[in-house]
Amino acid sequence: MGIENTSDCHVLVIGSGGAGIRAAVEAENFGETIIVSKTITGKGGCTVMAEGGINAVLKDTDSIQAHFEDTMSGGAYLNDEDLVRTLTSEVPDRIRDLFTWGAVFDLAKDNCIAQRPFGGQRCARTCYAGDHTGHEIVMTLLEKLRSSSVTIENEVTVLDLLSDGEKVNGAITCDREGNLGLITADAVILATGGAGQVYDTTTNSTAGTGDGYALGYRAGAQLIDMEQVQFHPTGAVTPYDSRGRLITEAVRGEGGVLKNALGERFMEKYDPKRMELSTRDVVSRSIATEVLEGRDTEHGGVWLDVSHLPREQIESRLPIMLNQFLQFGVDIRTQPMEVAPTAHHFMGGLKITPDTLTTVPHLFAAGEVAGGVHGGNRLGGNALAETQVFGRRAGLSAGKCKRTARNIDDKQIKAAEDKLNSFYKGSTKTADVRQSMKMIMWNNVGIYRNELDLRVAERGIEKLQNTPLKISSSRELSDAVITENMLLVAKLVIEGALLRRESRGAHTRTDVKQTWTNADSPFGHTFFVKGKSGIEILENRL
Amino acid sequence: MKVTISRYDPVTGEQPHFVEYDVSVNTAARVLNVLDAVRDTIDPTFAYRHCCRGGQCGSCAVRVNGEPVLACMQEAHEGDVIEPLDLPRIRDLITDIAPVMAQIAWLNGGSECPEVRQADIDDIKPLRECIECYSCISSCPAISASDFKGPTIMRQEQRLNLDPRDNADRILEAIDKGLFSCTTCRKCVEVCPKDIDTPRKAIEKLRSEAMKRGLSLPAHKALASLIEKTGRSIERKETTFLEQVADVIEPEGEVRATIGFFVGCMFNGRVIQPALDAIELLRLNGIRVIIPKDQVCCGSPLIRTGFVGFIPELQKRNIDAFVKAGVDTVLTMCAGCGATLKNDYDTPFRVVDITEFLCEIGFKAPSKVAGTYTYHDPCHLLRGQGISKQPRILLESVAEKFVEMPARCCGAGGGVKSGQPEEAAKIGAVRAEMVKKTGADYIVTVCPFCEFHLHQVTGLPVKNIATLMMEGHRK
Repeated sequence: MGIENTSDCHVLVIGSGGAGIRAAVEAENFGETIIVSKTITGKGGCTVMAEGGINAVLKDTDSIQAHFEDTMSGGAYLNDEDLVRTLTSEVPDRIRDLFTWGAVFDLAKDNCIAQRPFGGQRCARTCYAGDHTGHEIVMTLLEKLRSSSVTIENEVTVLDLLSDGEKVNGAITCDREGNLGLITADAVILATGGAGQVYDTTTNSTAGTGDGYALGYRAGAQLIDMEQVQFHPTGAVTPYDSRGRLITEAVRGEGGVLKNALGERFMEKYDPKRMELSTRDVVSRSIATEVLEGRDTEHGGVWLDVSHLPREQIESRLPIMLNQFLQFGVDIRTQPMEVAPTAHHFMGGLKITPDTLTTVPHLFAAGEVAGGVHGGNRLGGNALAETQVFGRRAGLSAGKCKRTARNIDDKQIKAAEDKLNSFYKGSTKTADVRQSMKMIMWNNVGIYRNELDLRVAERGIEKLQNTPLKISSSRELSDAVITENMLLVAKLVIEGALLRRESRGAHTRTDVKQTWTNADSPFGHTFFVKGKSGIEILENRL
Repeated sequence: MKVTISRYDPVTGEQPHFVEYDVSVNTAARVLNVLDAVRDTIDPTFAYRHCCRGGQCGSCAVRVNGEPVLACMQEAHEGDVIEPLDLPRIRDLITDIAPVMAQIAWLNGGSECPEVRQADIDDIKPLRECIECYSCISSCPAISASDFKGPTIMRQEQRLNLDPRDNADRILEAIDKGLFSCTTCRKCVEVCPKDIDTPRKAIEKLRSEAMKRGLSLPAHKALASLIEKTGRSIERKETTFLEQVADVIEPEGEVRATIGFFVGCMFNGRVIQPALDAIELLRLNGIRVIIPKDQVCCGSPLIRTGFVGFIPELQKRNIDAFVKAGVDTVLTMCAGCGATLKNDYDTPFRVVDITEFLCEIGFKAPSKVAGTYTYHDPCHLLRGQGISKQPRILLESVAEKFVEMPARCCGAGGGVKSGQPEEAAKIGAVRAEMVKKTGADYIVTVCPFCEFHLHQVTGLPVKNIATLMMEGHRK
C-alpha cells in the first residue's frame, strides 16, 4: 500500500459549503472532526454565491403549515413529506443559531429579522442580508468553524469512499500535487452540493461537479429524482463567458418585471396570478417558450427590468447585482438586464431519512447532494434553509455513530491506485471530455425534453464514459476523477429523464401526454442504485 | 490573445519566471477565461485558484500588470502580465493564504443573543462584505515594515467591535495586531473588489476608541494636546507664514479667479518657502488670494490617530474663517489638508488642490528647469482626492526631463512617522529604492509630510511643485 498520508477522526465531512460547515461544527461536539474541501473552505460551495435569502417562518401571520404546503405544492408533490416537515419546522431555530453566532441579516423597523417575498410563497418569508445572504451565512459559519477544534483540510479532493463491507469508514483523498491520502472515520457526511457544471450554462461555481452523487453511488447508496434539475429563470447571457451567472430571484422579489423583445410582460400569459413571482420551473419554461417562439432579445434572452424602482432601493437591496452589471457595462438603475434560464439546482440526490442517513450505514448526506426535500422544483430560499437544517442533523447523526475498530480494505486502495495509474495511459484530455459533455447535456437534457433527444444524449455520454481520460502528471489526478464523476451524474440525469414519462416540476417531457395533475400522479421517485434504476409506481393511483 | 504569466514550480528548483502564452478567447473575456484557456489548451498542470466566477468567493485574486484584481471580474487585455498576489508562493499563481486566514478574528458570543438593532447592522454592513481575497494584504506597504497584520484583519476587529453579540476586547486585540502601523495610504481601498473603506471605517474608529481608553501612542497624545492648546500641529519656532503675508494678495494684471488659501500647519510653521512660492505662483497666474488669518489646523493628524473629540471645534473655526472671507473656493497645497477638507468636512465652499485648480483654469508655462525629475504621488492626493494627472501636467511643463515612478506610500502618513518612526523609515527605504531606480536627481511632490520624509530616506532634494514652477518662472 503506497499511501503514507493517513489520518483518523470520528466524523469526516466532505464539502465545505453551508451544509458541510454546519455539519462539522455540530459533529465536533461528539469527537474529532475533519472537514475536507476540494477548494478553500467556505469559498467552494454554492452557498457563498447564494444571493436572495433563506426561508423561515418567524411571524405569527405565517405558519409552519403554510411553509410546508408552499414547499410541497412548489415541489409538484414529489417531495418527501417527512423531510419537508423537518425542514419547515426546524429552520426558524437554525436562523436563530446563525443570528446568535453573529449573522448580519437585515432587520425590519421593529428590529426583527426582515423578510421579503419570493416566488411560490404566499407571504414574505425570505430572510436576507442584502443580496449576499449566502456569503453572510458562510462568513458566520466560518467564524464558528475557526473557533472550533475541527481540522480543516483545504484543497483536498475525495476520490472514493472506503467501506469495510458493512459500513462506510473513510475516504481516499488526493491533494493539490496528486499525493494520495487516507482519512478513516466512524462516520462520513457528504455535503458536496450539486452538479450544475455538467451543463454548458450554469449558475454553479466550478466546484459544482456532483462528486457526492458519484461517491455515494459507487459506495452503493441509493439516489432519487436525478432528472429533476432546476433551471433558474434568470441567468446572464452576455458576455459569452459569463453566460449562466445568477441574477438573483431577489431582483423579482424587489419588483423586477420580465418583458420579451416586443416589450410585452409575458408572464401574464403563463401565470397571471403570480406573474414574475411564480415558481422557478414555470418562469423558466415561460422564458424558454418566448425564446423558442422568436420573441427573444439579441442574445437569445428576455429583459428583466428594475429601472422603474427607486435608485436607493436598487443600491441598498441589490448591491451585488448592481456592481456585477456595472462591470459588464450595464447600469441596472436605468437599463434592463438580458436574461435566460441557466442550470441551477439538483433537487434529486442521495435518498435520506430525516436524520440524513443514506441507504448505506454510517454514510450521511446533507444539502444539495441529498434528494427529496424539494421534490420536482425548489422554492427560492429553501436551499439555504436545507443546508442549515439538514447540515445540523447530519452533524448530530454522524456524531452519534458508534466508534468501531478500523477495518481497512487494502483491496479497495489497490483498486483505486490501479485506476489512477490507468489515467496515464489514456487518450483524451479531461477538458475536451467535459466540454463535449456540457454541450450534450445543454442541447438535449434541458428544460424541454423528449425521448429522441434523451437517447442522443445517452449515447453521447456513454461514448464519453468509454473514452479513456489522459493525464500527464499526478497533479491532474483529481481533474480526471472529477470528470468521471460528472459523466456518471450526467448519465443518471438522462436515465431519470427517460424513466419519468410525465411532466412534473422542473422535468418537462414534450413527447408525453398526461391526464393527471402533480398531486395525483401515479409516479413516485425515480431511483438509482448500483446497476439498477427505476421509477416508483403508486399502485393506488393507477 | 497574448499574455505573460509568472510560473513557478518548487519541485523543479527553478526560480519564478515569466512565460508568454497565446490563447484564443471570446469577446470581453475575463482574465480567468484566459487562465482557463492556458490550462485547457496548453498546460493542464498550470495552477491557479478559482471557484464562483462571479466575484463572490474571493478565490481568484491575482496581480494583473502589478495590481491585485479578481481574475473572474477583470477584463483581459492583450499583453497583460499576470502574477500571483504578493504573498508566500506555493506554485504558479497559488499562494499560501493560511497564515492570513489564521489572523482573522471570530465572534466571541454567548449562548444568549442580546438585542441587535438595525442601526448596529447598518454600522457593521460596510465592513462585512469582505470576500477574503487578500488583495489588501498583498498590497499593504505597512505589513512588511511592522507588526501590522493587515487591512482585512483590522476590518474584522472593528466588525466585531461594533457587534453587540461579541464579548471580546477588540481594541486591545487590534493594538496587538498593529493598529497604529497603518499609514492610512488607502491602497487597500483602491484594490478592494468590494470597496471596503478599512482606514476610515475600521482603523480610525478603532484608534478613536483606543484614545478614549488612554491607549494611544505617546507621540500622538502629545500632538493632540499641542493642537488643542495652539490650534496647530507644529510648535511656533519662527515667524509663521500667516504672520508674514497680507490678508489679500492681488494678482498681476487681470483677476481671473479668487480663492481662499488654506495653508496647513507644516507650510505655516515648518517649511514656509513653498507656501510663499505658491502665493507667488497663484499671483502670477491671475489669481487673487485671500488668506483668513484665523484658520487653524485641519485636524487631519487627529482624525488619522483617533483624537476626534476636538474635530468639530476645528471644523467650525476653519469653515467660519473662510465663510467670513466670502470665498466660494478654498485652495489647499497640502495633500493631507486637502483630503481632510474634502472628505471629513461638510463645507459650504468648494475645496481644490493647487494642481487641480491651475490645470482647470489654465496656467502660464514656465521656462524649463535643468535636471531629471520624478513625481511622488502623495497617498492623500492620489487616493484621498483622486488627483494624479494634474501634478504631472505641471511638472512636465517645467522639468527638463520627467521620469515616471509607480505610486507607493512613503511611510510618513497616518501618524506613523511620529508614532512609529522605525516603521516609517522601513517603508521609506522601499520607496527610496524605487526612486533610485528612476535615476532622477530630484523628487517633486505636493505634500509637506512626504516632502520631509522622502528627503530623509533618499538624501535627494525634494521640491514642492509650486517651488519648482517658480524656479522656472524666475529664470
